[in-house]
Amino acid sequence: MPRRFGAFGGAYVPETLVPALAELERAWRSARRDPGFRSELRRWSRQLGGRPTPLYPAENFSRRGGGAEIWLKREDLLHGGAHKFNNALGQGLLARRMGKRRLIAETGAGQHGVATAMIGAALGLPTEVYMGRVDIERQAPNVQRMELLGATVHPVTAGRRTLKEAINAALRDWIGSVETTHYVLGSAVGPHPFPSMVCDFQSVIGREIVAQSRALWGRAPDLAVACVGGGSNAIGTFHPLLRTPVELLGVEAGGRGDGVGASSLTQGRPGILHGAYTYVLQDAEGQVRDTESVSAGLDYAAVGPEHAMLRASGRVRYVSVRDDQALRAFHWLAEDEGILPALEPSHALFAALREARRRPRRSRVVVTLSGRGDKDLEVVLQHGSHRPR
Amino acid sequence: MAAIDLADALARRKAAGEGSLLVYLMVDAARRRRLPAVARGLADAGVAGVELGVPFSDPIADGPVLQSAAAAALGHGTRWADLLEALDVVVEHLPAAVMTYANPVLRRGLARACGELRAHGGSALILPDVSLDESGPWEAAARRASLAVVQMASPATPIPRVARLASRSTGFLYLVARYGTTGTGQRPDLAALRDRVDAAHRARPALPVLVGFGVRGPPDVRRIRSAHADGAILGSAMEERLRRSPTATSVERFLGPLVRAAA
Repeated sequence: MPRRFGAFGGAYVPETLVPALAELERAWRSARRDPGFRSELRRWSRQLGGRPTPLYPAENFSRRGGGAEIWLKREDLLHGGAHKFNNALGQGLLARRMGKRRLIAETGAGQHGVATAMIGAALGLPTEVYMGRVDIERQAPNVQRMELLGATVHPVTAGRRTLKEAINAALRDWIGSVETTHYVLGSAVGPHPFPSMVCDFQSVIGREIVAQSRALWGRAPDLAVACVGGGSNAIGTFHPLLRTPVELLGVEAGGRGDGVGASSLTQGRPGILHGAYTYVLQDAEGQVRDTESVSAGLDYAAVGPEHAMLRASGRVRYVSVRDDQALRAFHWLAEDEGILPALEPSHALFAALREARRRPRRSRVVVTLSGRGDKDLEVVLQHGSHRPR
Repeated sequence: MAAIDLADALARRKAAGEGSLLVYLMVDAARRRRLPAVARGLADAGVAGVELGVPFSDPIADGPVLQSAAAAALGHGTRWADLLEALDVVVEHLPAAVMTYANPVLRRGLARACGELRAHGGSALILPDVSLDESGPWEAAARRASLAVVQMASPATPIPRVARLASRSTGFLYLVARYGTTGTGQRPDLAALRDRVDAAHRARPALPVLVGFGVRGPPDVRRIRSAHADGAILGSAMEERLRRSPTATSVERFLGPLVRAAA
């Protein structure tokens, strides 16, 4: 399990967390070799999660592009409505194996908080979730879901009151509670071993894409597209495809388009945030910049360190999509396919359509539809971009 | 006058059997004018040295008091240049270390930052989010600038690792008193603390071990001294006092009993 991805990654944390991270790495190394743990993970994924998720041909949406076929990897159909289940389940089982008695998590859009609350309930582990006050307002349905699932939601009122501050608060809790508590970090970010471990748990997405595309059309897709905030659904999609010729495209949030949005890979520079050396949106003094995006789940000033390496090496191409473009893609998919996508993968849908347009009809583009859009209805309706056909 | 070196000052006190009190001050552009008086108050009270804090946007090791101090300082437009200016003022009176998070230093450039700190009289660098395992490049840059790098240990640190931290630390070893962030947490487990102080002393008998995080008053300092530590570090409590009353007299009156408890 790599501590670094090229120059990126590492574990820049207070000393109090060092033994806990070492314990976590040992536990994960032993669990991933343990057939009992692996079969338990598969069983829960199937029986509670609903894996495997379908690979769906979005024929009407593809016609809108008029080029390549667009297929959707339906992580929105996973239990809880997002890919976050994969990681929350894996870490929950690991926490139980380590004898931890309490789970904490941060959440931006609320999907990871919901997933952790579900797993906490299923495994009988009390769960507390940190969420920025701004996100609590814009993703209210997910807050209610977490509370109904028995979790405690702590509003975070520092700074811009979004995902970055929620991670700060969860890390501070963990520094004080590390003996009894596991921090279920929700994305492929943070100190080692989180980026590698989260990638392992999310790679089921890419492995299923490989198997399903072979079964459906006999080979891998030509292009795989996923949205990138911290980057967990993207790394899960990309990782099993890294050693293949499949083209990979990561899509960051460009916000309104008049600033940096939340595009750390395309607008940031290397720095250290939340325990990792990675691309960070920061000013000349090394202070982390405020981000803005219509999607709470992409609204983050840094990115997983493996993405930083993949950008530096050129293996993955990263682009930025604005709020208004993502909102258009949201409506297109809803009207064309009867699927309400979350605003996060709506960014990937827009970029995928743009790419498909330039490609021949027989080529195939897979987009990871990382979550469903029920949580976003209020934001979408507020933007008023809906026009009846 | 030439700045006094913090490592020398602490070592001299330790050799004389005297304990030390260090005080953490957040650099804040809005407090520039009263810093000389505060520094004088600290020196008159008998404080051994100052840790100057550079505010960072995401201070994960800090509790509510120092979080809000950092947010206020950034709101006042505090920059790296303000740190250098604060160093100039403080080292007139007391030896000074600089404590901040990794990114502001990295952004400045390790070599450049260390060179500037030394040129402005700074003695040591303390980075709570650069653990021993990532410390190599930071230590190399600091060594080239003759700057000490203070390692931090905590109650979570296994004893053999405390010995390694003490062996690598320069200036002093910063022992975190308890699980939790600055200014917060339960009462320290004195036995756990003493085991770690003793482990550090066995590894490096001459290296002072100072204990911080959650130190509020003379009883805390006495408990820390009873756990064989060479002194204590005061952060959040000092910040709260300065908010109420930032004069030299008030600082001196507040710190007097703490300095005596540390002695």
